[in-house]
Amino acid sequence: MLSYDYVKCTDLNQAFELLEGTDHIYPLAGGTDLMVGMRGGKFAAKMLMDIKGLPELKVLKEDENGITIGAAVTLNEITLYPPVRENVPILAEGCHSVGSYSIRNRATIAGNICNASPAADTAAPLYCLNALVNIAGSGGTRTVPIEEFFIGPGKNALQKGELVQSILIPKPYPDGKGTYCKASRTGSVDLASVGVAVQRWGDQVKIAIGAVAATPVRAFSVEKAVNENGEKDWSKAAKLSCDDISPITDIRCSREYRYHVVEVLVRRGLEQIMGV
Amino acid sequence: MTEKRTVNFVVNGDKESRETETDQTLLKFIREELYLTGTKGGCEIGECGACTVLLDGKPVNSCLILAVELDGKDLVTIEGLSKNGEMDRIQKAFIDHAAFQCGYCTPGMIMAARALLDRNHSPTDEDINEALSGNLCRCGAYQEIREAIKASSKQ
Repeated sequence: MLSYDYVKCTDLNQAFELLEGTDHIYPLAGGTDLMVGMRGGKFAAKMLMDIKGLPELKVLKEDENGITIGAAVTLNEITLYPPVRENVPILAEGCHSVGSYSIRNRATIAGNICNASPAADTAAPLYCLNALVNIAGSGGTRTVPIEEFFIGPGKNALQKGELVQSILIPKPYPDGKGTYCKASRTGSVDLASVGVAVQRWGDQVKIAIGAVAATPVRAFSVEKAVNENGEKDWSKAAKLSCDDISPITDIRCSREYRYHVVEVLVRRGLEQIMGV
Repeated sequence: MTEKRTVNFVVNGDKESRETETDQTLLKFIREELYLTGTKGGCEIGECGACTVLLDGKPVNSCLILAVELDGKDLVTIEGLSKNGEMDRIQKAFIDHAAFQCGYCTPGMIMAARALLDRNHSPTDEDINEALSGNLCRCGAYQEIREAIKASSKQ
């Protein structure tokens, strides 16, 4: 591992200045991806900027806009937060699918999306909930829908000098159940081979799939069949998911397996939340 | 560039102030600076849990944390569980139930188990599986580990 310096940020402006004026600088929150990535040579950091002590990033609140989750809030804190459990349990499920209990004591949802893995477990639930990413920099703040935040494998919408301040789960919350189904090589502590989130919104459904394209994707073909064409045969609807994905073969599984398992998980998800 | 920093923290109940390099992991710091070698290094990518310690009461993977992040925190390692030469009841339960073979994962298992019992006095099998989801035992003593934790919770 290369050597690097460490700065503990004391306020947000200091963080923006450092981000703008320093090469090879990485924000450190949970560090669970960053430390592994540095050891493996994925990140060549010369400076780590510890942001998890900043009060602005520790916000976890519910108000008239929805649920705001600060960038330094851990996955276990989100999973246990009553407004999340009551209103958007699919997000608790997604957060709970990441790593192990002890990893989730450090890991953050902002880190999960900033790492921009197509397999990020929190991404598909966030897609189904129309989540908004609040980005802050010295030039001010801007808000990006989660589906525009993911650009490609390991690439997100942040510009130099910016960081994710928080994620908003906007109101109104979905009317109906949601589920996150994950296929992985082992029962726990593994990245998703495929992750499927299915969320009911009244009589409509929203479906997002991870680990099957360069970014998490929506299953628009399946959604159209169910929402607009009134398809009630869930296996028929699930078959359409192959039009929405472009998986590759990698260390976790083959392209063919991904096509197969997506169809199965989309069907199961539909059965579970729309009724058999 | 790597630099040296002073960190102030509490380890196993004692206040400490030490110098550390900015790129040193907490795991290495615990073993090679504090000489508390009960904490083990395994995969060093946060998957095996051998390096589990309690930071402000929560089980974490010390291989994925920097020693500089320890500043202002309360650290408990396996050495901190015994009081006046008397083992913690979870340690005794592991011995009574032979909840190990080679013993390499045991310190991490016990720290994760201790944290579970601190927040949940009567854990179910499911609670135990969840709490220890980040701790691997390649000898396969899982059944005995679960029994030890349940026995300890009843005391």
